[in-house]
Amino acid sequence: MITRIILGLAMIVSLYSTSYAHGTGYRQSSLNAVALEFTYSTGEAMSYREAKVFSPLDDKFAYQTGRTDEEGRFSFVPDAKGEWRVIVRDEEGHQCEAKINVNNVDDDVHAASENLQGMELTVRAVLGVSLMFNIALLIRRRQNAHQ
Amino acid sequence: MHISEGVLSGTALIAGWAGTVTCTAIGLRKTDTSKIVRTALLSSSFFLASLVNIRIGPSSTHLSLLAPVGLILGWSSFPAMLVALFLQAILFHFGGLVVLGANTFIMGTPALIVYVVFGKMIRSENKIFSGIMAFISGALAVMIGACLAGIFLGISDRNFFEAAKILFYAHIPLALIEGIVTSFMIMFLKRVSPEFLS
Repeated sequence: MITRIILGLAMIVSLYSTSYAHGTGYRQSSLNAVALEFTYSTGEAMSYREAKVFSPLDDKFAYQTGRTDEEGRFSFVPDAKGEWRVIVRDEEGHQCEAKINVNNVDDDVHAASENLQGMELTVRAVLGVSLMFNIALLIRRRQNAHQ
Repeated sequence: MHISEGVLSGTALIAGWAGTVTCTAIGLRKTDTSKIVRTALLSSSFFLASLVNIRIGPSSTHLSLLAPVGLILGWSSFPAMLVALFLQAILFHFGGLVVLGANTFIMGTPALIVYVVFGKMIRSENKIFSGIMAFISGALAVMIGACLAGIFLGISDRNFFEAAKILFYAHIPLALIEGIVTSFMIMFLKRVSPEFLS
């Protein structure tokens, strides 16, 4: 009788253990993550775009894949020193590649952003239009000079 | 519609440059230098249109004005677009210099097609007919551009049908908007400055 009870309890414990082994859990990580924000040149966020992270140790197979959030943010935790590449692309052929130099796996992460910096977008737009009209006027003047 | 650097394969890049160089050379020969300011104006419009964002659901896109440039400039639209796309790559980081050939071909070809097909129709005396034709040309130019971008992505060993399908569906709302914008532009020009379409 005692043997049967022990066997029964052992079976229940084993079943419980088995189901518990396939459960899930979480803990808050204290590791330093690299967080990036991806935008189009107009400043608009690259929302929900495919993101691939390439480790300096393996340039072919992605270390991590995923998608940016609504604000174009994507983060990962590097596990090696060196230059990490994060490529975010959309379905229409736009692509942004960020190169991150990780000097210390725990801290000191320097991002080299490729986003529009320096001159404001408006200034660039005015410069572009001005260039086009100046080229046109130059061609016209030369044409008039020849005639 | 701008394809970024590093996305296309060597074959696609060479094909794009070959097409662009050929069409730009023809375009330069056919460009009337007395109307060079008009070319610059359309090139500037095309250059700035990319900054006009249109929100469509969770995504967004920007105006291209492919059809107005093509309908007004004809063959000159290729050199006009090449200059505009070059400046967009330098100043806005749209596309890139290596992929400039492919991007110019993707956007210049629809402009040229609508010029050949609809060029005479939009200059018709019947205003309603020319307005409808302008709408169709505006919408069609965007869809042709999307299909060409899909083909270039397909040549680059990417999933062609998937890329083409996504590009096609994603550009339907833009095509309708571009159709309306093109129709308004052509109707306005015909009323205010008909010589602009000469």
